[in-house]
Amino acid sequence: MKNILKPTGILLIICVISSTILSVLYSRTKPIIEANNKAAIEAARKAVLPDAVKESFTAVDVNNIASGQPDFEPDSILFYKGYNQAGELVGFTYKSAGQGYSSSTKVVTMVGINLDLKIDKIKIIKQQETPGLGANCTSTDFTQHFSHKDPSTIKVDKDGGEIKSITGATITTRAVTNSIRDEFLTIKKDMMKQLDKGAE
Amino acid sequence: MKAIGEFTKGIIKENPVFIMALGLCPALAVSTSVENAIGMGAAATFVLLGSNLIISLIKNFIPAKIRIPCFILVIASFVTIVDMTMHAYLPPLHKSLGIFIPLIVVNCLILSRAEAFASKNGVGLSILDALGMGIGFTLALVIIATFREILGSGTFLNMQILPQSYKPMIVAILPPGAFFTIGLLMGLFNQLKKKNN
Repeated sequence: MKNILKPTGILLIICVISSTILSVLYSRTKPIIEANNKAAIEAARKAVLPDAVKESFTAVDVNNIASGQPDFEPDSILFYKGYNQAGELVGFTYKSAGQGYSSSTKVVTMVGINLDLKIDKIKIIKQQETPGLGANCTSTDFTQHFSHKDPSTIKVDKDGGEIKSITGATITTRAVTNSIRDEFLTIKKDMMKQLDKGAE
Repeated sequence: MKAIGEFTKGIIKENPVFIMALGLCPALAVSTSVENAIGMGAAATFVLLGSNLIISLIKNFIPAKIRIPCFILVIASFVTIVDMTMHAYLPPLHKSLGIFIPLIVVNCLILSRAEAFASKNGVGLSILDALGMGIGFTLALVIIATFREILGSGTFLNMQILPQSYKPMIVAILPPGAFFTIGLLMGLFNQLKKKNN
């Protein structure tokens, strides 16, 4: 009996200690991590649409759920509008997510769209692809291929398109490219509406 | 004298990758560039230090029968603590080392040092062992990555060193290239070991 109880008890103690430490640390670090992530996303928005002023980005929300709640980011936010110093609309930014090679984390891309509905710049903001292969999608050598392309027609070269795939990481390239295109096609109508509004 | 031996043995004589064939999974995955190799080596050395330290401290408290689950708990908790702290307080460092964290949790090198060394030796020797093994692991990764990066991308630490006309040997940065490189280097190390004996 003692042979069973003693190891069980000790394992229990170790589990309790480590889970206590982890849960305390988790609750301490969670708000800081979230603030860091939010700042990183704001920086990414500015990076993909350099003409816009950082503070000018406003969400376009179909259901108006988020109005008046600056920290709340529901799925109903389609994209963000960016304005320049003079208060003129210069473009849009949106996030797209595609299933890459990692099972748990999708590849998330921030995309900047100019007023002519061509891509300004893109930035990979979240990924967990294989280091050395798919993880190379974050380098500007790769992301620069997207600039000035029409997001509604982009395709990977292996699928007959013009986006050069990353060596040894076609799946990652496809995840990025296809998610940018599909997300754009879903929100294109609403972007056009915003453009018409701006022209009035 | 013994202390120095515990430190230096991990570097060549008991090199974790080339001699003991430990931690091969991360060695294959991240040795595509020297930069990645250094990042992974540094992160693994740090975790190894922490886990060897904690395990040598609590070794008398853990019954032999359940030592493996205890070690895994300690290692996984320590890695998660490092991950969360780094993510909150050192975001730039987390950005460059964060991708290696999930690979470290499953690195058998760390568990095997806990089992083979830290659970049988004192704190001081365990730290020296961790440092030596960490340096040996980093060194092995850097050697593999040097070959793979030069052959596969024509660069070293992202600096172009082969002429632009060199057509990169892409197989070197793909997984088969890792097996070829590690296989050849292991053979070389074994040859050297034989000669020394």
